[in-house]
Amino acid sequence: MNGLLLANQFIPLAGFLLIFLTHRYDEKQIARISFWCSHALGLSIIGLLVLWATAGFPNHEFEWFTLYSTGEYRFPILFYLDRIGAVYLLCSGAIFSIIVKFCRVYLHRESGYKRFFLTIFAFVFGLNLVILSGSIDLLFAGWEIVGISSFLLIAFYRHRVQPVRNALRAYSVYRFCDIGLLLGAWMSHLLFHESQHFSQMVTLFDNQAMPPAGYASLFLLSVLILIAASGKSAQFPFCFWLPRAMEGPTPSSAIFYGALSVHLGVFLLLRTTPIWTYHYFTRFTVLIIGMLTVIVSSLSEKTQSNIKGQIAYASITQVGLMFIELALGLETLVLIHFAGNAFLRCYQLLVSPSIVAHLLRVEGSADTDFYIRTISRFEFLPVSIRDTLPAVLQNTLYVYSLQEGNLEIWIRDTFWEPLKRIGAVISRVNPWFKLLNIGCIFALTLLAVHADYLNTRFLAAPTALLMVLASLNAFGAQRSPFHVWNAIGLSSVLAGVAVLFLNPAASLDVIVFASGIFPAWLLGIIVLARLLRHDNFAYSPFDYRAMAETHPKLSLFLFLSFLGLVGFPISPAFLGEDLLLFHASGHDPWFALPITLAFVINGIAAAKVFQRLCMGRPSELNANAVAAEYIVTRGQHAIETSKAHKA
Amino acid sequence: MAYREPAIFAEDSRQSDHRQVFDLDVALNRVAHWLPTQGPIKDFVHHNTLHAVQHLPFHEGVATAARVFGARSYLPLEDYQRMYRRGRIKDFAIEWALDRVDCGAIAREQLRRRLFENDDNIYPPVSLANHGLRNAWLTRLELDLNAMVHPVLFRLLGNFLDQGISRWSLAKDGESFWECVLRLVHNSLLPLYPFSDRGTREYLSGNPDQVVRNCLERIVGDEQLYEQYLFEVLLSFPGWAGMVRIVEQNPRTLLARREISLKETVAVELAIELTFLQKKKGGHFPNVAAAVPETGAIPLLKDGAIQSKIPVHLKVWHEAMEWSLHSELLMAVNQNSRDVGDPVSGSTPKTQVLFCLDDRACSVRRYLEEIDPAIETFGAAGFFGIDFLYQGLDDAYPVAQCPVVITPKHLIRESGGNPDPNNKSRAEEWTNMHFTAHSMFRGWLYTQTLGIGYAARMAWNVFRPASKLPQIRSLSEVESHSKLHLHRENDEPTEDGYLLGFSYTEMADKVGGLLRTIGLTRNFAPFVVVVAHGSSSVNNPYFAAYDCGACAGKPGAPNARAFALMANHETVRRLLRERGTDIPATTRFIAALHNTSKDEITYFDLHLLAEHPAPGLHEFQKIMKKALQRNARERCRWFELGPKSPSNRKAHRHVLERASSIFEPRPEYNHSNNLYCIVGRRALTRELFLDRRAFLHSYAPETDPEGSIITGILSAIFPVCGGINLEYFFSRIDNSVYGSGTKLPHNVIGLLGVANGVEGDLRTGLPSQMIEVHEPVRLLVLVEQKLGILDKAINRLGALKEWIDNEWLRFTASDPSTRELFLYSKKGWDPIELPDTYEIPASTHSEKIFAGETETIPVHRLDRRHP
Repeated sequence: MNGLLLANQFIPLAGFLLIFLTHRYDEKQIARISFWCSHALGLSIIGLLVLWATAGFPNHEFEWFTLYSTGEYRFPILFYLDRIGAVYLLCSGAIFSIIVKFCRVYLHRESGYKRFFLTIFAFVFGLNLVILSGSIDLLFAGWEIVGISSFLLIAFYRHRVQPVRNALRAYSVYRFCDIGLLLGAWMSHLLFHESQHFSQMVTLFDNQAMPPAGYASLFLLSVLILIAASGKSAQFPFCFWLPRAMEGPTPSSAIFYGALSVHLGVFLLLRTTPIWTYHYFTRFTVLIIGMLTVIVSSLSEKTQSNIKGQIAYASITQVGLMFIELALGLETLVLIHFAGNAFLRCYQLLVSPSIVAHLLRVEGSADTDFYIRTISRFEFLPVSIRDTLPAVLQNTLYVYSLQEGNLEIWIRDTFWEPLKRIGAVISRVNPWFKLLNIGCIFALTLLAVHADYLNTRFLAAPTALLMVLASLNAFGAQRSPFHVWNAIGLSSVLAGVAVLFLNPAASLDVIVFASGIFPAWLLGIIVLARLLRHDNFAYSPFDYRAMAETHPKLSLFLFLSFLGLVGFPISPAFLGEDLLLFHASGHDPWFALPITLAFVINGIAAAKVFQRLCMGRPSELNANAVAAEYIVTRGQHAIETSKAHKA
Repeated sequence: MAYREPAIFAEDSRQSDHRQVFDLDVALNRVAHWLPTQGPIKDFVHHNTLHAVQHLPFHEGVATAARVFGARSYLPLEDYQRMYRRGRIKDFAIEWALDRVDCGAIAREQLRRRLFENDDNIYPPVSLANHGLRNAWLTRLELDLNAMVHPVLFRLLGNFLDQGISRWSLAKDGESFWECVLRLVHNSLLPLYPFSDRGTREYLSGNPDQVVRNCLERIVGDEQLYEQYLFEVLLSFPGWAGMVRIVEQNPRTLLARREISLKETVAVELAIELTFLQKKKGGHFPNVAAAVPETGAIPLLKDGAIQSKIPVHLKVWHEAMEWSLHSELLMAVNQNSRDVGDPVSGSTPKTQVLFCLDDRACSVRRYLEEIDPAIETFGAAGFFGIDFLYQGLDDAYPVAQCPVVITPKHLIRESGGNPDPNNKSRAEEWTNMHFTAHSMFRGWLYTQTLGIGYAARMAWNVFRPASKLPQIRSLSEVESHSKLHLHRENDEPTEDGYLLGFSYTEMADKVGGLLRTIGLTRNFAPFVVVVAHGSSSVNNPYFAAYDCGACAGKPGAPNARAFALMANHETVRRLLRERGTDIPATTRFIAALHNTSKDEITYFDLHLLAEHPAPGLHEFQKIMKKALQRNARERCRWFELGPKSPSNRKAHRHVLERASSIFEPRPEYNHSNNLYCIVGRRALTRELFLDRRAFLHSYAPETDPEGSIITGILSAIFPVCGGINLEYFFSRIDNSVYGSGTKLPHNVIGLLGVANGVEGDLRTGLPSQMIEVHEPVRLLVLVEQKLGILDKAINRLGALKEWIDNEWLRFTASDPSTRELFLYSKKGWDPIELPDTYEIPASTHSEKIFAGETETIPVHRLDRRHP
């Protein structure tokens, strides 16, 4: 059984690596690999579930090995299978096999064939990690992988601006909600120590009289988890990103936003049920979130004039209902509901292009007037007031629905714009002035430490502030990618320094962290220097430069550097982030907030740079200057000859 | 208030023409000229993508458009070089193309050398429309205005024009777009975003004219630049702007009529723009005129400064490629016609089959004749000369069944017994529940209960595509158990002003006209099969683009049925006999529909044959089936994932699967690789293998001394075949600008068109899955007729003359008696000289020619053994 667990986990990874090694135009080979991998995965899932069933549906936990441990801190690679995981695993396996078969033909001759299958396999790897993980830490790793592959698939058609923009939008929401999970993981370390395993969580709360932690901290933890879950499942107030994420090839939208990814929030809540159900208030919050979502998204769905947006909102509505069911404690119903919704939405998205033929048929088949007119505007209202509803209210309702509950506008105005404004202000400050300030602080620090005037811990606060400011600088700097990269680097260095201030014993952890960040930063700077050798970036800072096509290798390195900087689970920085949080804030919980904030903002800033440089459609403007000039002279020659011909 | 830049900048060099006043309507008309003209997706009409520059010679027009839209003008250089290495571009053609570049001997040698060097820059130019004045100004402001304005505007347009996807429709009866927007802004407790404060709402006061003027004054500031600014604004969302323009000019293209105009759209756009500018930059932002001095180098539309830079080496390559391919046919026709006289005139053929001139019929005709040489085939535009509006049993609205250039006056309705409609619709409701189960509580119920069932359905559809569960009949699959109401009982027009049916005289006119056009006025076979075509596919929003182009993107079945019914009618025959066309009483016309994706055929109204039996029909049906199977195999050579075995049945099975798989983006390659259009007797091409690349129109040159018939033919094939050809051409040359990119992420918007994602601009042109194997070559029209008669015909063409004068297609003539070939140009006819050294490849069977081939094949001679 353990072997099969591991197989489920690593077959997608093996598929990913095999495809990675294949030549990008070798479509047959890629198809063969994905065929066998999806079948192997299917078999191992069935095998696992059969074994699990014959063992009597136990809650099975398996600790593979411990990745890292210092003192109290342990990071075990831990797997866990129970009823919830089994249902999710089965659905993901079935949908994955169907999608792979579907895409074999559907993506035939598509230029991003390899890229697509790579991302799909990465996604399934992440997904299975989330489903099978035995602790929040590992779940977070899977969560990040799902997030990045989602980002890549939304921006799959990178020639157009809009998919790229929407990818950033979805990524920002993901990243923002990662605050919840990152802090959640840290809090669960703090609260449950060793016992943050999902397997032990149930027993932890058995003792009704003695909760494992205080109400306040439990509440905080619940809220954090809820933020993470709402973001991933596009619940209130994050509903708006899901329809906009429908930019990739239809099957990828089907598997991500129709079927699997969108239900991960529900999964997270199912996993952490003991935590957030302990308190009635949080239960109630879940109920309210679910209800608000149902209201907003079922209204928004009414005015979606495009089919994918309509399906997206229909799906969100159902997930909202799942939240309500969760709050009412109907777990089994939620599982059935999940499976039904996943399959139905997946199918709906796959056949969404049929809507033209279908509706023309429907409009025709009725012997009455056609479709639009027979559907009444406010069919949910009683007939008696339907027509008498004042025009103002009708218009209001319509605008509300058209603007999808104003959620996007609200979120952008409250979170995004202020950050951007502050960032822009900071980035306009003279860099020498900034350097001077930082120098002063460090000098002061050294002085203070040497003179033993004060405990270094008090210095952590200004350092943390600087760290956040550096991140904001990265966020606001638009005119130079170097600035962004350096600011992110600086912010990470400051994070390390601040941790050392707080807890001088954590130097080893800081080294782990730095070993992830520093090479990534250096790599990024080198790659940027090479990419922008012939480019006057400041001349057109808002163009997408399409370097993924003009310089594919360098772009790949830039992507790796980006992953390193944002603490993706392939980099030691991922573990480092966790460690920093754990160690630094063991006694100073306030520190968790700035450091998470900095991580989140850094991630978005780096993603923005990556997009500006690597995505877009190659055109003469993006080609290097020499070539452009050459063409101009050629062109002049051309026009001369063509004119002569005319005369 | 408005920020006024000191007038120095605005007026420096432009002082001279200061008196000229900006006229909004004129400006909009000029700008709208550049917008795509693709109507709602339910009917797909092919047209020249670059109609905006059709008044220019081809190469100049293409270069201008390339600059404006930021597109490629030709294929990448390597593609031509590769074709040269493969022998598809011939040396003589390069010389021919070089001859047409007027330059000295030295320059010519340089140019020739240049052909074989590599290009340093393989990327298309930057679009002037999207990287012009406005973009420079916005870069200065550090504002991505499009990203803010477009989602709001598209959402409004999408919901206003929506044809049935939204649950709530935005437009009220008879309300214009402008009124509708004002309603949402001024009469809602929650004002439309971004008009959230009173100040910005003021921007929308007055009529659209005033709003546009006020906004332009504040945003642009200089009247000289207004038109340029509008141009760049509209070309930042060409898809929606073009759709608005079409609906404005022809409201009938929508099923649910909407009142909207480009002016209103521009007014709303500019007001939103201004509001965002106000929000982000406050009242005092530098306007466009203030940015002009910095951006003086940017060429403007009205200066005529969009200079076309024709990349000469690519132009030479391209012309050489075209001439190589064109001369393959010309040489074959030349050699072929030397041996062949007029074989048909003797004995009466066993069967006559009338097809659409469509290139997809080209191979079916070849197979029919190959299997049974006693079968004679004809080609004509697939509406068979009968233009009418058709309203089928299931159709809520009538659709035009004729080329777009014709406006039909007659309406034909279908009637017939559908035994129990309620029963069927309920069953359909259940199987199609996934189209509608969105609402809150019903959705909850359905997902809980039926949701898991969709796992099975999805798996079934994906793993066993051809074995269908009951699903929607696609539009092209027409039921054959109904009646057409053809005859008009009284002359009273319907509400919409149409005549209900045809009178017998009109019928005789139509039937006789077509028969004369194709030269079938004697020697009638015992039965004549009239084969229309349509195409069925699933999960394909572009289904209309696969149907008959001569029927404005519909299956041609109603036309074929109408034609056969008319031609069989005694009264019509009597009238025809009086006019000299004697159809024997024993001759029967039979209508059929060729499903080009499935390679299946449906015969209509066979029950009518009870009275007038058509002996030999059964045998013909068998031959047809065989021909279609062989045709399927020939089509399979293009499908990389298709069967490679020589079995016709496997191939047929494969195309069936293709047409019924939800995961198949290429049910067929329809007009891909269209290249020739031959108007003349079948004898000219009967012995040739044309690789499904020719539109074949039958025409008997000797029956048309005045050139009136050929005028009619040419005025139909220029826009129809030429439109198809150029749409494929440009979609292939630059798929992401002229075409609609890959089909895979497309999202159906309001039943109007497709877009990428939920808030993208509508995409126009053809998706990459339709054109990927296409060789972009202009159409070669070859007409068998004397020059004198053709000159008369050309002079009668009117505006269509542009097509050949500006070389948007190549026009050649073959003299019916001397067999000499001539090429048309603006200056007149030039005799065509072809190299003698080229030997036309020959073979005995089609299958031998294409076996193992995966690229286009040169014209072959088929040496059939005649019995």
